[in-house]
This record gives sequence, structure tokens and C-alpha cells, in this order.
Amino acid sequence: MDLEKNKTIKDGAINVGDGAAIPSKQDRGLFNAWRVAFFGAIGTILYLVIAKPDPYLSILKFLPDGILVTFQVTVEAILLALVIGLFAGLGRISRNPFINGLSSLYVEVIRGIPLLVQLFYIYFALGRIVNVPAIASAVIAMAICYGAYMAEIVRAGIESIPKGQMEAARSLGLSHAQAMRHVILPQAIKNILPPIGNEFVALLKDSSLVSILAVSDLLRRGREFASESFNYFETYTMVALMYLLITLILSKLISIMEERLSVKSR
Amino acid sequence: MKIKHLLISALCLFIAAGTVSCGKQEKVTTITVASDATWPPMEMINKDKKIEGYAIDFFNAVGKEAGIKFEFKNTAWDGIFAGLAAGKYDMVVSSVTITDKRKKTMDFSEPYFESGQALVVMKSSTAKSIADLKGKKVGAQIGTTGAFEVKKNNGVTLKTYDEVGLAFEDMAAGRIDGVVCDTPVAANYALQKAEYKNKFIIAVNIPTKEFYGAAFPKGKKELLEKVNKGIQAVKAKGIDKELVKKWIGTK
Repeated sequence: MDLEKNKTIKDGAINVGDGAAIPSKQDRGLFNAWRVAFFGAIGTILYLVIAKPDPYLSILKFLPDGILVTFQVTVEAILLALVIGLFAGLGRISRNPFINGLSSLYVEVIRGIPLLVQLFYIYFALGRIVNVPAIASAVIAMAICYGAYMAEIVRAGIESIPKGQMEAARSLGLSHAQAMRHVILPQAIKNILPPIGNEFVALLKDSSLVSILAVSDLLRRGREFASESFNYFETYTMVALMYLLITLILSKLISIMEERLSVKSR
Repeated sequence: MKIKHLLISALCLFIAAGTVSCGKQEKVTTITVASDATWPPMEMINKDKKIEGYAIDFFNAVGKEAGIKFEFKNTAWDGIFAGLAAGKYDMVVSSVTITDKRKKTMDFSEPYFESGQALVVMKSSTAKSIADLKGKKVGAQIGTTGAFEVKKNNGVTLKTYDEVGLAFEDMAAGRIDGVVCDTPVAANYALQKAEYKNKFIIAVNIPTKEFYGAAFPKGKKELLEKVNKGIQAVKAKGIDKELVKKWIGTK
């Protein structure tokens, strides 16, 4: 049983289909692919801007505030999603049938609705009830959605810790909550971090969906430029390269973080 | 093997059917027209999921005069001109204002409707112009002349939406302070829509004197001339005035 769950966690770390391929030093092929993509993207952007400043330079000048909004939405949403995910994940393994049922229902409902539909729903439903600014609504919508996926990661992470750990902590006189906080969670977090890194990259890419809610993120800025200048091909080339660059940098950072963690634990 | 043969013959049939129907279409000269049907009362989707509105009636009349059958295709506004340039359809009728900048990338028919811009605000608002909304957010549909009008005002934050209806809903939710769009559309949302008419008012009509034209890819002279002749005939018969009565009412 535990072995099986351990495997899911490991699969989570190996299965990097959602984010950009996270390179590790052992994996030379991937590492090279990352390099080629990264320097290729930078090189292409530089080449386009220098060789054809009109329209590429003006596109490049138009996008930066959109990139900031994309980052803002991503970071805020991931933090909020972590909090939601932690509670919902703990709820999923709770022995209280009410809390357990509620968290499971949340996870099932949210995972069954496409993110785009949820964004529309939460954005306009929120608008009917309370007056929340556009970016905040977008962040809340993204966080509620990703919280459900986080919850599953948290649940799997906690369940991956051998039962003996809890039993040992309890027999040392810790309460269930104390054992959870001081013994289980610190160990689980290390297991959880790689899949959370993936979710982070995935959320960054999905954040492009909030452009539909008139949030001026990177994609929206690109669309605004294209709709006025009619340089659709050029603009979306630039936008795609920007996203690629950002996700590549992010996945690199995450892999560095993971390496540090694994070194520490030895 | 058998399945493979079957698949190939099915494919051949499809291709054959495709070419036959294409040939037929050319005889009746059916023209595919892209229209963003989110712009009531000019172009919109009715309850039967059909595109209707002033422009649809007008161009059906034009088609009758010119001997063309127009087939309207609902297309998202953002990217509608990219599709035109790529040859996905032959013409765009979507309340496109004729501007010099747009003329560089496409050809226009004669104008078929005169419009201006209008600022719609909440009834509680005291704004009388876009400039009055300094430091606030004003919404418009992406890439429209309404959006360009907002941009002219320094200090007013433009928020662009995929559809103008989303902008109005956002204003009703209190997220933005005004919406700028073409006068007939503003009138439709602020005066006629049941859920909005008690909430919104038209703060000001901005007489931008803009004219709608049908947009064509560059160099489609023959079709353009045919449509122009049709537009002239429809105007000469006074059909446009009847349609104004039908769709827009008295101003």
C-alpha cells in the first residue's frame, strides 16, 4: 500500500509533461534540449529585434507590463492555491467524515470543470456578490482551481510517509496534530516540492487564460498590439517566445531548488 | 488490408464530394462573410442560433441586388482581419469602421452606416466625458474604434474585452467605470436590455463621424465593385431607412 503511494509521488516527480522538461544534471539529453531551447529563444528574440525592429522592437516594448501581470497572477495564485491545497489535502485524509466529504467534494467538482469555464464562472459570479477587482478575481479563480490539484499532491505526499513515523511520534507522547506538524509534514513537504514546482510552471502557462477576463497579462497585451497593428504573426511569435523563455527559466530554478533539497537530505 | 482499402476509398469519396460541392458553390457565387455577432443590434445571435441584425438584413438586400448569396459565419472579433488576410472568408461585415490605418491592410466597400462613439456609465456616475474618468478604468472591445477613442485620453486606463457584452457585465459588477462603443450598440445596452436599462445611462455621444464598410482582402476588385453597386441600389430604394426603423428605432 505505502509502496504504491510512494510510486505515485515518484511518478509525479518524473512525469514532467505538464511543465517544461525539468533538466537534471544526470540527464544530459534533457539538459541539452533545455539549453538549445533557452539560447535558441534568446537568440531568436535578439535576431528579430535587431534585424526587423519594426514591428518586433515595438512589440517587445509593448509587452513588459503584461509580463509583470502574468507573474503577479501566477505568484499570488500559487501561494493562495498552496494554502487551499494544504487544508483541502489535510481534509482529504481527515477521519472526520464531514471534513473529509467536503474536501473530497471540492476536489472532485473543481477537477471536473475546465479551468476556462471556472474562470468565467468565478469571475462573473463573484462580480454579482462582491466587488472584487479584476486581477484579484482572476487570482482567486486560478487558486480555487489549482488548490484542488494541490490538495491531491498534499494528500499523496502525506500518505507517502511511512505509517511508522506517525506511530513513533504518537508513542513519544505527541498528539496527532503535533505529530502531523512536527514529524509528518516536514518530511512530506520534501516529497511534495517537485510536483508543486510542476504545478507552478503549469499555472504560469494557464495564467494566459485570464487574458479572457480583460486582465492585461502578457497574452492580452500581445492581442491588443496585434489587433491594432494587424501584425498577428509577428506579435504571437514574440508572445510565444516570451512564455517559452519564462517557463524555461522557471523550470531551471525549480530544478536547482530540487537539487539543493536532495543534497541537504543526504 | 481491407480496412486500409476501405479507408482510402472513403477518403477519395470525401475529396470527390468536396470538389463537387465547391464547383456548385462557384456557380451561385456564394460569398462567405465573417461577422462577430456580439454587437447588437448590428450583428448578433438570435434565439435560434442564427446571425441577425441590421447589417445582416442590409447585406442580404445588397446580395439580392448584386446577385450574390452571402453566407454569414460567426467569427471572434480579435483576429477577424487576420482570417480575412489568410483567405478564410471573402469579406468581413462586422460594423468595421473605415480608418486609414485599416485601409493599409484591407479594402473597404462604400460606407453603409454612419456611427459615432458613446460613453456608457452607471446611472450614479457624474462623468460627462471620457476625460472625466481620469484615474479610472474604462472598458471597450479589443481593437475597436471605441478602444482607440479611450486611448486618446491620458490618465484613463483602458481595459480591453473580447466581447463588448463582457465589458458591460463588468461595469454592472462595479469593476470598471465606463464602456465606450459604437452608438447603436451603446443604445442597445443602455436603453433596451432589460437587465441593464435601469443601471446604465449614455453619458455622452462622441460625434466621431465614422462609417462602417464591408472589408475585403486587398485586390479583390471584382467582388468589391459588385458589392458597391448593391449598396448603392439598396440605398437608392430606401431600404436602409426601413432597416434603421426596424433595428435601431428613432434616435
